[in-house]
Amino acid sequence: MGKPNITFRLYAITGENYHPGRSMVSVMEQAIRGGADIIQLRAKDTSKRELLAQAYALRELTRRYDVPLLINDHIDVALAAEADGVHLGQEDLPLAEARRILGEDRIIGISTHNIAQALEAQAGGADYIGVGPVYPTGTKPGRQAVTTDYVREAAAQVRIPFVAIGGITLDNVDAVLEAGATRICAVSAIVGSDQPAETARAFKQRIRAYNAHGASASSLKQVLINGRQEWTDAVTIAGLVEQYGLGAKRIVVELNGVILAREAWLHTSVDEGAKLELVHFVGGG
Amino acid sequence: MTYTMNTEHDPLVIGGVRLASRFFLGTGRFPSPAVLQEALTASKAEVVTFAVRRVNLDFAEDDSVLQHFADRKLTYLPNTSGASSAEEAVRIARLARAAGLGNWIKVEISANPRTLLPDPIETLKATEQLAAEGFVVLPYTSDDPILCKRLEEAGAAAVMPGGAPIGSGLGILNPYNIGLIAEDANVPIIVDAGIGSAGDVVQAMELGADGILVNTPVAKAVDPVAMAYAIRLAVEAGRASYLAGRIPKRRYASASSEQAGVSPLSGSDPLSASALRQSEADAYAHEAAVTMAQNMRTHQSSPEALRGEEKGLV
Repeated sequence: MGKPNITFRLYAITGENYHPGRSMVSVMEQAIRGGADIIQLRAKDTSKRELLAQAYALRELTRRYDVPLLINDHIDVALAAEADGVHLGQEDLPLAEARRILGEDRIIGISTHNIAQALEAQAGGADYIGVGPVYPTGTKPGRQAVTTDYVREAAAQVRIPFVAIGGITLDNVDAVLEAGATRICAVSAIVGSDQPAETARAFKQRIRAYNAHGASASSLKQVLINGRQEWTDAVTIAGLVEQYGLGAKRIVVELNGVILAREAWLHTSVDEGAKLELVHFVGGG
Repeated sequence: MTYTMNTEHDPLVIGGVRLASRFFLGTGRFPSPAVLQEALTASKAEVVTFAVRRVNLDFAEDDSVLQHFADRKLTYLPNTSGASSAEEAVRIARLARAAGLGNWIKVEISANPRTLLPDPIETLKATEQLAAEGFVVLPYTSDDPILCKRLEEAGAAAVMPGGAPIGSGLGILNPYNIGLIAEDANVPIIVDAGIGSAGDVVQAMELGADGILVNTPVAKAVDPVAMAYAIRLAVEAGRASYLAGRIPKRRYASASSEQAGVSPLSGSDPLSASALRQSEADAYAHEAAVTMAQNMRTHQSSPEALRGEEKGLV
């Protein structure tokens, strides 16, 4: 089968306490629909039986969307539920042992809180590392925030994928991206949102925008949508509209000052520097 | 037998659409979509207005007012609010039409952010152009009788003079003008903006308006659903009253009980017959002065009725 590729940009972690009254599967489905492209099951105070049941449910969901599923800490649960891998903390089973059990085909991610730990994980064969907590966070109370300084160090020195994590919200994500992160992990900001899909989509857009600055060889185009600079890899207008989750909405597209009929969306390309207006109907007198 | 108003014989027709309700409801500023829904049901409105705005790229789900109307049969009247020139209004109208929900457009061009009063020149220009492009144009305009006539001539399907500035709730500031506009029009007149509550609506309808467009008085009422209901009744009451034809105003009383045959208490001196005749004469003398025939205009389909009413006045 081979290791699933880890091209993820937006990493979402479960947090049931952040969405009372809504099921984990429906919230995570929303997150995926909004653009989360890797999911981690984390549930610290749950029995193993319960955790396994959740793992099965998320495995079913993530297969449907073709998104990797990782399990926090529990290698046995990861194996039982056929997850794509695990995420381990500094106090969990050592990386080498985990690799021996899981084999080369599964993803192993390691939490790191300083550059020494990061380089150690990299040398030890981790597939990616977590860099954080960047900001103080409710999911890791009492842990000293590493700030964007560590993100900057990681960006300069770490050669495997690293994902910034810890207290990241839409209000502070720009600073994290500015520091050099190209992948973002959010817990409460996404699963605690009333609209996880829309929040995830907003995160994804910010990440895309910053990645575009760094990668000149990328296929991303800069366009102006509703007066805002945006980056997109969409080929057609239909694809672009879909990226914003607007495909099914009754919206009207104006491209460079000319209204574009819906029938033409599929055949109209998105060019660098395009000016788009996306409008819809709102309450009014 | 109970009397019921036969709306079948008193339809409002705009742009070929036959409307049973003369109440147009705006959809802005409601406390929640649920309240809007309930108010819409209570109003029995068949025409709803809304605005064209940029999609929120971050939260597409805080979406379109349209999702709430999916299962209702309504005529959509998007507005061009936000436009401050004819050119901008035309662009918004075209965007609205591209959504595929019909070709009605409320031209709304405000030049002054404080009063939101419509720019008459630009409104006229936009009406002309949009009518030429095949839109059913309903311009929101100031209550100037000549301007309203010019809009009609420019191709407006209905003309919508304001009673007072948008959202002000000041009522019909110039009933004389609204009455004149309604009287002279060959297209429906919809009083739009300025209404505060059901009372103003009755007044507008009695002045001869063919309908009213209301948003803020319903959306911002303490109980929007109850106000939607009240205004619906007011529209019907005002219309029925207008069609029924009001009595002329007179300076003095005119007894509603028969004068003859009053049985006097012995020894008292009842009102003499000559005194009664004098009061009648006074009343007629003042009548022409005080009656500014608020609603000379009758329904357009019966010009005879209009002439009849004029005769009655002289």
